[in-house]
Amino acid sequence: MTTMERPVLPKLIGARVKRREDPRLIRGRATYVDDIKLPGMLHLAFKRSDVAHGRIKRIDTSAAEAMPGVVAVFTGKDLMALPGATRPVGARGTYAAKIGAGLPPMPIGTPFPSPDHYAIAPEVVRYVGEPVAVVAAEDRYVARDAVDAIVVEYEELPAVVDPELAMQGQPTVIHEGFPNNLALPYVPMGTGVDPATGQVDNSAIDRAFAEAEVVISQRMVNHRVAPNAMEPRGVVAHWDAGKEFLTIWSATQNPHILKSMVAAVLGLGEHQVRAIAPEVGGGFGCKINIYGEEYVAAALSRILERPVKWIEDRSEAFMATIHGRDLICYLDIAARRDGRILGVKMKLIADIGAYNMLLTAAIPTLTMLMASGTYDIPAIRCELTEVFTNKTPTDAYRGAGRPEATYFLERGMDMLARELGLDPAEVRRRNFIPKEKFPYTTQTGAVYDSGDYEKALDRVLQLAKWDELIAERDRLRAEGRLVGVGLAFYVEVCGLGPSSSLPTGGWEHASVTVERDGRIRATTGASPHGQGNETTFAQMLADLFGVPIEHITIEHGDTGVVRQGIGTFGSRSQAVGGTALMMAGEKVRKKMAKFAAALMDANEEDLVFENGMIYVKGSPSTGKSFAEVARYAYVPVPLPPGLEPGLSEEAFFEPPNNTYPFGAHICMLEIDRETGEPRLLKFFAVDDCGNVINPLIVEGQVHGGLAQGIGQAMFEEVVYGPDGQLLTGSFMDYALPRATDFPWFELDRTVTPTPVNPLGAKGVGEAGTLGSTPAVVNAAVDALSEFGVKHIDMPLRPEKLWRIIHGRGQA
Amino acid sequence: MELAGEHRFRAPRQAVWKALLDPEALREAIPGCEQLERIGEDAYSVTLKVGIAAIKGTYTGTVRIADQQPETSYRMLVTGEGKPGSVEGEAELQLSEDGDGTLVRYRGEVRARGAIARLGSRLLTGAAKLLIGQFFKGMESQLQRRPA
Amino acid sequence: MSDLVPISITVNGRRYELEVEPRLLLVHLLREKLLLTGTHVGCDTSQCGACTVLLDGRSAKSCTVFAVQADGSEVVTIEGLERDGQLHPVQEGFWEEHGLQCGYCTPGMIVSVVDLLNENPNPTEAEIRAGISGNFCRCTGYQHIVKAAQYAAARMRGVSS
Repeated sequence: MTTMERPVLPKLIGARVKRREDPRLIRGRATYVDDIKLPGMLHLAFKRSDVAHGRIKRIDTSAAEAMPGVVAVFTGKDLMALPGATRPVGARGTYAAKIGAGLPPMPIGTPFPSPDHYAIAPEVVRYVGEPVAVVAAEDRYVARDAVDAIVVEYEELPAVVDPELAMQGQPTVIHEGFPNNLALPYVPMGTGVDPATGQVDNSAIDRAFAEAEVVISQRMVNHRVAPNAMEPRGVVAHWDAGKEFLTIWSATQNPHILKSMVAAVLGLGEHQVRAIAPEVGGGFGCKINIYGEEYVAAALSRILERPVKWIEDRSEAFMATIHGRDLICYLDIAARRDGRILGVKMKLIADIGAYNMLLTAAIPTLTMLMASGTYDIPAIRCELTEVFTNKTPTDAYRGAGRPEATYFLERGMDMLARELGLDPAEVRRRNFIPKEKFPYTTQTGAVYDSGDYEKALDRVLQLAKWDELIAERDRLRAEGRLVGVGLAFYVEVCGLGPSSSLPTGGWEHASVTVERDGRIRATTGASPHGQGNETTFAQMLADLFGVPIEHITIEHGDTGVVRQGIGTFGSRSQAVGGTALMMAGEKVRKKMAKFAAALMDANEEDLVFENGMIYVKGSPSTGKSFAEVARYAYVPVPLPPGLEPGLSEEAFFEPPNNTYPFGAHICMLEIDRETGEPRLLKFFAVDDCGNVINPLIVEGQVHGGLAQGIGQAMFEEVVYGPDGQLLTGSFMDYALPRATDFPWFELDRTVTPTPVNPLGAKGVGEAGTLGSTPAVVNAAVDALSEFGVKHIDMPLRPEKLWRIIHGRGQA
Repeated sequence: MELAGEHRFRAPRQAVWKALLDPEALREAIPGCEQLERIGEDAYSVTLKVGIAAIKGTYTGTVRIADQQPETSYRMLVTGEGKPGSVEGEAELQLSEDGDGTLVRYRGEVRARGAIARLGSRLLTGAAKLLIGQFFKGMESQLQRRPA
Repeated sequence: MSDLVPISITVNGRRYELEVEPRLLLVHLLREKLLLTGTHVGCDTSQCGACTVLLDGRSAKSCTVFAVQADGSEVVTIEGLERDGQLHPVQEGFWEEHGLQCGYCTPGMIVSVVDLLNENPNPTEAEIRAGISGNFCRCTGYQHIVKAAQYAAARMRGVSS
């Protein structure tokens, strides 16, 4: 066999490889949930509550049921088989036999006490948009018509909207057994708190504030936003009555968790459920949750013995898909006049909405965990209270708890700098955790893996040409323009698990198979929905096996193909999923080397995998082709002693710790003196996510994170009226940022690998949302410094800024 | 949502007062009013057709008149329900003489729920002002046509 | 149900004679009847632009057009942009410059950029941003989409980038 003409394959790790996902996406050939059509499929539509808080007096579904094309209508009581479920509808005569006692309340993923939450409210509705009935019809237009024909009468109850009033039980209590609407009454964390017993010793934190030369105190709100993945949620469920097997397609970030939870709720074994995340159009945390619509679709497919589809529309998504953030912070910083911080207190109040969802209760605890930021703070005390209100539940949204911590602390750092007349970069530098102190344990118990914060700060100051930027700001100000510069630093916790930190387990799974022809099929339990893992993971395997990337397929998102997995969230795919993939790949490579060694009568330790060949180091011309060795492994004549045939291995990776990427963002912002309209002029970001597999993809992740972080700071806000009505129920009122809202983002990176995984990769998906939000608000406060403004709550609506400029106080 | 405004009628106070409580005149003046029937003492059932953007639809509801101070003021309580959601409103109307005409001042509050609140709240103030403007214009032309 | 209305429509060069409900949206005609699922629905208030197609050569949000209004028209969807198996330069630009992540807004975004470059073959960055301001993208922060449009513009003008 000649080997001379074999092309030399470039090393791909670290290269800007074009994405392998893209051809199907740019040609309109990808398959999202709504693109799936099954024979006999019914369409579901949900009747949702128009009131924020009320008792259902009467539901009249008769007109809906009478409509041609309507197959069945179910209320909450019907589906949960609760007392009052009497009307026979559609095929429901056989219902009890199939679902037994009815759908139980939905499980959550946190260990905290939680009120019952049904997929369809049986008696009391607690937020606008909560489902009260579901229609199954032959066509989606008919299903909608039928929903409109359902008449619901409510006995309206007072709506609980303000979380600080809610905490006093005002105007009413939403859930029995949760006095004063307290979902979590009091969780302390930090210095003097014994995590095992909850015992609190205040001496250290009190001493810090007693010794302080300056104290900064500020109430801040990190307001409620809507994740708004461009693809709304959707689900297709197909119950195979013959095999007693459920297949469920869903726009989800974690099909394996979906499989487990749907099985549990429907009373099936996990061996009877296959969950598939087809092409998924973005998630940003909101598709981690397992939602009522998924359980209902699965149950109705089983009851009606027809495939069913439900597709959320956008105005439905604003009510029915979780919201993010919504945290009030009372921040106190104790410091010396030289800027050195002695202590930090964060009193946090989380408005979690009407119910606990999968991770709801855990998200604000991450804010406490990250309260130290990038600073060496000797005393920290956080106190968290979580409160029920009559709003859509909150849960994970890109960053999930960490952007909130960063925002509060970085606003505080700026206030401290302003109070002391110090340069904002200098105040941060004086408090940084020095690089020789890593691994560093914060007062809230986070163990930071690695960091070099000064380096990132220096890099961003250089990138932004800080001194020139300040000079430019001053020059523009001299012209009468309102221009400000903002800086913010961040560190985030990524690469979730370990398993001790996640109720689902915090590992990830992968398998790698070298086929008979030498092509490679790998699976990952990560479930990408835009992150590009089909490319990055293939880059890694291409280098590991020395084969062309075109010979590799990465499969994901299907529990029928991917044996085990957790999913994609918490910037974990590369750090945890990538490591599992490399572990499985290395097992296969090792076995393949044994076959090659037998075939070539060589020593397996001396073999090199390169350019589609396996050869003895130093003599490429005497090697065997990769495909030839693969063939031998499947037709092993003779079978080398001690080896099984075949080349297929799997691995689970349990990370020993989280990773802690970090970075620094700087921006320049101008506010129109006449109209109050803010405009972002420049943006610079230096991010350190450890080692990078594909810089192109990392840039894309950073850009997207910046857009969402800036979006929250400047435009986006979920607004409720005093009666609990959602006022931002469409893109007409919810201001999603457009292309014209952003300047060119200037990016750079520093590289501080993590010791937590062999790749040295930390994660980058959420990073952009952390630094950008406080950087923008810091710039706005700087721009309005001539008006003596200390703090502005987000978003930076022109009206709010105009009032400050024109001396009408804060709106 | 709070609404307030005023309209000056070129008609005497007594005529305006009468017209504002006359079901016939109201049916003609209320924009999109398809039906208005007396259902009790100072209470009417109404069917309205609204053709404005997100609040488009047919609404059925009731109007009740309370606290009548003849030729001076009354309160109006409105409820309505339609496909896009429901509205509840309360308004106070005050009449005063203004030269040879009559000034009608109104102040009230409207609460919406359902899609009207979610999709239409931004449009609601504008739409309500438009409808109120049309209402007063309709009344005005009736008063001109059939002077008291 | 309402009576069906006959329409004749040309989609991606192929002519269809169909009978549709008067309330059927063009996007649903494309997706449900013609099985061209590359055109997506991202909102219900014609803000997001995921459903953008070319209607008689100009970009239009197909969620805001009734199928009957497109009677006699020529529609080009994302599936119809390739020529002889070759990607349209705008599609190529999105691939080269990483102009997409989850891909959901991408078909509409690509069609909008095609329309923009038909009107203005050499747009500035600001003109590109304005040209795609009727399309939301939640993943990319738009920067790589701007680069994709610049790449395509250069290619279509015959400049190698």
